[in-house]
Amino acid sequence: MFSSDGVSDANSNWILSRRLLGLAWRYRAGCLKVLGVQILILALGLGGLSFWGLGIDYLRQQVVPGTLPVHWSFGWQPPADWAPSMVVMAIGGAILGFTAIRNVLNFYYTIAINDLTQGRIVVDLRAAVYDKLQRLSFRFFDDNATGAIINRVTGDVQQTRAFVDGVVIQIIIMALSLAVYLVYMLSLHVKLTLVCLATTPLLWLISAHYSRSLQPEYLKNRELMDSMIRKLAEYIQGIAVIKGFAREPEVTADFQTANRAVRDQQQKIFWNISLFSPGISFITQINIFIALLYGGYLVIHDEFPLGLGLIVFVGLIQQFSGQVQNLANVNNTALQSLTGARRVFEILDAPVEIQSPPQPVTLPVAKNSRQVRFEHVWFSYIPGEVVLQDVDFEVKAGQCIAILGVTGAGKSSLLSLLPRFYDPTRGRVLLDGIDLRHLDLDELRRNIGTVFQESFLFSNTIAANIAFGHPEASREQIERAAQIAAAHEFIVQMPKGYDTVLRETGSNLSGGQRQRLAIARAILLDPLILLLDDPTAAVDPQTEHEILSALDSAMHGRTTFMVAHRLSALRRSDFVVVLDDGRVTQVGTHAELLRVPGHYRQIAELQFAEGVAG
Amino acid sequence: MKAAITHFHREVNDEAQERPLDFGLIRRLFAYTRPYARKRNWLFLLVLLRSLQLPVLSWMIGAVVKGPITKLDLPGTVHWAVAFLLMALTTQVSFHFRMRLALELGEAVMQDLRRDIFQHLLRMPMSFFNRTKLGRMISRITSDADAVRVGVQDVLFVSLVQGGQMIFAGLAILYYDWMMFLVLLAMTPALWLLNRHFRRKLSDAYRAVQESFSRITSTLAESVNGIRVTQGFARQELNASCFRELVTDHSKYNLGVARASGVFLPLLELHGQFFTAVLLGLAGWQVLTHRLPLGDMIMLGFLANLFLSPIPTLGNLYNQALTAMAGAERVFNLLDTPPDWQDADASQPLARLEGRVEFRQVVFGYVPDRLALQGVSFAVEPGMTVALVGHTGSGKTTIANLIAKFYLPTDGEVLIDGHEIRAITSDSLHQQMGIVNQTNFLFTGTVLDNIRVGRPAAKDDDIIAVARQLDFLDMIGALPNGFNTQVGEHGANLSLGQRQLVCFARAMLADPRILILDEATSSVDSLTEDRLQRALGILLKGRTSFVVAHRLSTIRSADLMLVLDNGRIIERGTHAELLKLAGHYAALHKQFVQNPFMTEFTLVPS
Repeated sequence: MFSSDGVSDANSNWILSRRLLGLAWRYRAGCLKVLGVQILILALGLGGLSFWGLGIDYLRQQVVPGTLPVHWSFGWQPPADWAPSMVVMAIGGAILGFTAIRNVLNFYYTIAINDLTQGRIVVDLRAAVYDKLQRLSFRFFDDNATGAIINRVTGDVQQTRAFVDGVVIQIIIMALSLAVYLVYMLSLHVKLTLVCLATTPLLWLISAHYSRSLQPEYLKNRELMDSMIRKLAEYIQGIAVIKGFAREPEVTADFQTANRAVRDQQQKIFWNISLFSPGISFITQINIFIALLYGGYLVIHDEFPLGLGLIVFVGLIQQFSGQVQNLANVNNTALQSLTGARRVFEILDAPVEIQSPPQPVTLPVAKNSRQVRFEHVWFSYIPGEVVLQDVDFEVKAGQCIAILGVTGAGKSSLLSLLPRFYDPTRGRVLLDGIDLRHLDLDELRRNIGTVFQESFLFSNTIAANIAFGHPEASREQIERAAQIAAAHEFIVQMPKGYDTVLRETGSNLSGGQRQRLAIARAILLDPLILLLDDPTAAVDPQTEHEILSALDSAMHGRTTFMVAHRLSALRRSDFVVVLDDGRVTQVGTHAELLRVPGHYRQIAELQFAEGVAG
Repeated sequence: MKAAITHFHREVNDEAQERPLDFGLIRRLFAYTRPYARKRNWLFLLVLLRSLQLPVLSWMIGAVVKGPITKLDLPGTVHWAVAFLLMALTTQVSFHFRMRLALELGEAVMQDLRRDIFQHLLRMPMSFFNRTKLGRMISRITSDADAVRVGVQDVLFVSLVQGGQMIFAGLAILYYDWMMFLVLLAMTPALWLLNRHFRRKLSDAYRAVQESFSRITSTLAESVNGIRVTQGFARQELNASCFRELVTDHSKYNLGVARASGVFLPLLELHGQFFTAVLLGLAGWQVLTHRLPLGDMIMLGFLANLFLSPIPTLGNLYNQALTAMAGAERVFNLLDTPPDWQDADASQPLARLEGRVEFRQVVFGYVPDRLALQGVSFAVEPGMTVALVGHTGSGKTTIANLIAKFYLPTDGEVLIDGHEIRAITSDSLHQQMGIVNQTNFLFTGTVLDNIRVGRPAAKDDDIIAVARQLDFLDMIGALPNGFNTQVGEHGANLSLGQRQLVCFARAMLADPRILILDEATSSVDSLTEDRLQRALGILLKGRTSFVVAHRLSTIRSADLMLVLDNGRIIERGTHAELLKLAGHYAALHKQFVQNPFMTEFTLVPS
């Protein structure tokens, strides 16, 4: 589902940029504040530079008679009775004053920009992306790796945010300061300015070319790095295979090839970097050379002051070039933020496939279980690849049905239609005669308890895990659910009982314990319908028995759907639905199906033969 | 109870982010530059050159202004300006080489470090991999090696240049005006202290940011992995508000960093301007009293900038140096960790393995105080199939690990073809041994590649022949690209049964004399199960096989069954013999036969 980075046409970039401008506009108050402060800082910096030049001119006038009179351009002139040393001190004091105010403003700027970006934009974006993520259909999660999804909420959001402060604000600041420098330089000497800045377009072109030509190289390097790390990770994870087959030499050679590929590819980048930086510095130095030559000529002919003229001018050239070089950075930031924004917006724009209807029908109050009907249901994940074909059967309130079939027959897909994780492509699923799509989604899901093949537990306390669907549940309710799920005994034996914090994915519990917690979690909702998606598949047979007996009490009085392979589980159902390639091929009780030839009997015989043939 | 998605427990991070400069480490790192000695020596020469060139360049600007321009000497101005341009050109040329050589040297050193780390890792025995987290091993090769690279590329050479520049600029200032030099000298320690104080504050603030960020990522990871639960239990809204709180909290820590750096960075900048003001006051007074030529004062302005501007850079580099030290220390710690054991020097390759395996009073513990095997003895003739039976933790897998020489026995002897296993090289043993793990690990690549791991020299036809022998050509044919189907991370595209068959084929291709197989516990549908059993029968034929067994049919066809309990063999014999014995196995089997619906067989502790 990743949009291919880099190969984006200009048109979509433009649409995206407009959208990002809209984002900046939403935070315009904060942006304006940051901009205002920056402009003040810029002005004060120029003030400091000018006063240094002023000081030099004043001193020159005092010690070298006959030079240009000092140009008091700041609307202030020292009183005539001030001693020269007093004037110099005053100028020095002014520089200090400027500096002090500038520092306070700088501090304020740092806080303001952080508050705007990290405190507001990033928080809002992350919350929005996370909220949306949770509502996306499972297809998205199947298609994308966990790491990539996490990166959308972390790295990609930051890149998107960078468009506001790294591109929009930065460009305005740059444009303003370039304009100010230019006007200042022009006001000092028009011809000198034009001559000195003649190389500027070159600076610009080189910067732009540099970032454009290096970007694909960096991307390529990133890929080579990733591939090296992937190899490394895999070889460590598969170390038992490597050692077992004595494949160390091959693996070492392979890793070394990947390792060397990263370095070889870098050489080109190194050449570019080490040509670019000195090159750019040299262009700036050419400007200074021109300033010295031509400016020196002007000073010598007394057409230009030394301090407020030449020295200030050299200072301005250096700052001006700095800003122009910055343009390359802004360009890079813009490209990166477009890539990030594309991924962020992809999530924000993704249609939520499953939603509550605008006016949901409320479920009639029922004390016990629900009746469920699959009415000519067809389903496919990808158009054209049919997963379920014309599935049609009814489950009466309180019944337990088992679903049997080989891998890929459509068992899990069938179950996932009930909590509306997906909607049927054709046909309807009815709950007490009401189409599921007419019900409030959250209410529907709260009425269904699900136990998955491998139940995911959160690294939270046991109590919080059981109360996941109903966080306000009292301790009594939690314990009662745990008792029904035959989990209470092992929980109270844990060091902190119900307050024991589980490690990530509950790795401090055995598979059977995890499944029993998952059952308790489902029971706590007091659901009318129970979905058991092969809950004993991943545990070893000893624990299967524990889980099945826990389920016996949990299933009591609830309409239950159960995916199972083992006869021990299948026997417990009221009737069995046999799925083959998305079609219902057999329906009946265990006893009935044993009597007729077919898939069920074939399976039963295979398992039976295993058991008695010895 | 306040709702939360996860309960964050502060991870004890024993990996220090920084480490003081250590000359032992630096010397060792330096040794890594030895293969590139020419490059390195040129670099040192260039560093010296540049730390002279930079001050000279600034001095020249000052000199033009001070000399010919103030003296109204036009030809002099032209000469000086041209000299400046030429000097600038040579400076940039040396800059280019300084930069490129440093980049190349750093990259080369990092590449060598990575190679050494990887080779060292491969030499480690299995016990190391069982106790070391994957993430740790990866960060040795990525972030730690990278920190060292930055240390070489940036820190070392840039700080030398900057330091040299400061020294020469300081000397020049002393030459022009000793008073200003004293002022500078007085300012420097204050700056240094200021720098240290804030760096420390900043690194505390950064740590808090990192910690709260890892809370965000771990919550995110769980939210993504647990999405089915979240949607199934309609927790989206509550989770979203919990997450927003986390993110808002994180932004507060970010603001903490902004506050600290917001005071610090302007303060660092302040000294430049502060010095300008002092210069104007102090030197200006000297100019007025004709003790200092005006040109010298202007020169001092340029030189001061040269002296002061490296300070923030050096502060930054110092921090990077500490990070590089921490990275280098971790890398060298790993390289210095000796393998728990290695093949003995006297060990000999075993040319042709017959497949006779004998255990004599073998005692073994993964941790010293908990024995996994307590005196196990048995002898197996070539070609026999041995089923290891027992509940989880009884020692089945341990026996398999010892035969594969993944671990060495604590006491007693393991003999292969009558040779003590310590006297045989691991390589020669593994080349004649096949292993199928419970996890059925597949590498990224095609199905063909994965089978070929068993014998890299095998031709495609050999591989197809093996698949035909195991009778799963139709299964491969059903895959989108047949044998060339890409298998993703962990072989996600294949079903459990397909994965197992590929691993069987891998072992079959290796055609080992001894085969060790850990049957998967997870259940597959009955038809697939049947196929796997048939393929297994073909795979085991004609070689000494040890099977950690969960399926009754596997057990029944074994020539010898070892029933294990708590690290001891409690019963041994064939299926028929053990039934006659009427012991543990017989009791279990009886229970099994009476319940035709039990399909799997695991010994329940009595």
